[in-house]
Amino acid sequence: MNEFLSLIARHGYSIIFATILAEAIGLPVPAALALVAGGAAAASGTLHAPVILALAVGAMLIGDSLLYVLGSRMGWGLLGFLCKVSSSPETCILRSAESFYKRGRATLLIAKFIPGVNSMAPPLAGSMRMPFAQFLGLDFAGVSFYVLAYGGVGFLFRDFLAVIARGFLAAGHLAEAVVVVATIAFVAYRLWLYRKYRIYRVVPRVQVMELANQLQSGDAEKILVVDVRSHGYYDAGATRILGSIRIEPNNLPQEIATLPRDKDLYLYCT
Amino acid sequence: MAHILREQGFNAFVIVGGLTAWRKAGQPVETVPNNDLVHLPTFSR
Repeated sequence: MNEFLSLIARHGYSIIFATILAEAIGLPVPAALALVAGGAAAASGTLHAPVILALAVGAMLIGDSLLYVLGSRMGWGLLGFLCKVSSSPETCILRSAESFYKRGRATLLIAKFIPGVNSMAPPLAGSMRMPFAQFLGLDFAGVSFYVLAYGGVGFLFRDFLAVIARGFLAAGHLAEAVVVVATIAFVAYRLWLYRKYRIYRVVPRVQVMELANQLQSGDAEKILVVDVRSHGYYDAGATRILGSIRIEPNNLPQEIATLPRDKDLYLYCT
Repeated sequence: MAHILREQGFNAFVIVGGLTAWRKAGQPVETVPNNDLVHLPTFSR
């Protein structure tokens, strides 16, 4: 911690810019601490406040814009990836999309203060085709609020910087503990799922070329290829296996009623 | 899901590697028809 603060004093602007840019693109670095240290440095006259503000806001806008572009390129695949850990990915995708659609604009204003959400809001805005100018305006307001809040803390309470730094250190330890516990819980959940669904391994599996050969033979009419992806049907231009049909995972009982019983079903996902 | 289908009396199989393996093997794919797409909300509409 002390090394970090002395780094800020020595390399000032470049450290602040790099730290904030790194956090903006999702890396686990202490951008808030850099802002507090920058504010304190400005109060002591070591650095210039307007330059710190401009660099901090600029770094965050650059990082957020990169994530926005990533989201717009990945489309709904990004949300699908994030919802993989959910017990019901389909529901997770639908609810998350609806929720961000309703509250996305307000979320962008406060996202920087919420770990996790700060890195997810920009790519989601991109995925959901928020106009870039609108995104930039909302993000600028949110980023400015964040930079002024933490920079202001450092500026006003520079004499208590050591106490503030200790507070951040304690918060960092707490965050580490939360991450460790969450990781253990996730691994335990996956193990539980594995044990619960071990019986599924008895379902016969078929290699791609084996099925392709069957489709080219006279057996083709006895075969139905079924797409059971929980996502993948959200982006225009999405593809699927030629001639396959989709089963909606959330409506399985209704879907089963429509399936032919005289055909072999070959299921696939991503 | 394949297990549930088998329990219901369907002769169900799982394609190893899914769509990714199918594509990698150079097998034919098609664009999902527009009326099959699920339309999630977007800020642009």
